[in-house]
Amino acid sequence: MSSHVELTEAGFDPAARLATFSASLGDEGAVVSFTGRARGKAKDGNAVGALVLETYRGVTLASMQAIAGDAHERFVITHSHVVHRAGRILPGEAIVFVATASPHRRAAFEAADYLMDRLKTEAVFWKREEHPDGASWIEPTAQDQADTVRWLQSEG
Amino acid sequence: MAVVTSRIELCGRLADACGPFVDLALPVEGLPVPELISVLGEHFPALQDGLSKGRIRACINETIVPDEAIVLPGDIVALFPPVSGG
Repeated sequence: MSSHVELTEAGFDPAARLATFSASLGDEGAVVSFTGRARGKAKDGNAVGALVLETYRGVTLASMQAIAGDAHERFVITHSHVVHRAGRILPGEAIVFVATASPHRRAAFEAADYLMDRLKTEAVFWKREEHPDGASWIEPTAQDQADTVRWLQSEG
Repeated sequence: MAVVTSRIELCGRLADACGPFVDLALPVEGLPVPELISVLGEHFPALQDGLSKGRIRACINETIVPDEAIVLPGDIVALFPPVSGG
């Protein structure tokens, strides 16, 4: 079993990460990956110049590691790989990449879904959108919160 | 009462009003988190609006602590507004 959790200010290539992750596996029958990308438009339709993700010392990475640890406890996955950008991210760039591997597909799908839901609401980031008129802080949406709560309501 | 000036880091939107760091005189015996937040608002009125929105959590020496925790001079202290997630 292995879990790789990484916080980086540099851009990364999700396809290369998936290739490396897949090459590290043994006989797992299922690999699921998800890439989150910065959007060029805010919810109100206005253009976003960049997304800025602030972090705090070792606490942000520790929060990501705790979420990954919970995923390994909860689901039958053998390997996971989590990469998250920090700093200034331009539209179209990858913000987050999650990959999971399991003997069977259901656990791999669910673990990736779980990782993303919790990263989107609980990981220690403060996020703001920069636009031509200034910047605005972004908080998790009601849907993001509901997505995370459903894992508290369901077992296993 | 002996006091020691301590630096408090303000994260996320809390940094909008006064920048990311403020200095505050702490009693040598420390302050519980809610009192620290209250004293901070008194010394920096521009922070009061941000401190009153959502639950503010304290982080002491890189650990998010419960409200009963005591912030002591010399601790590395940060205040977190609600996180936005990734």
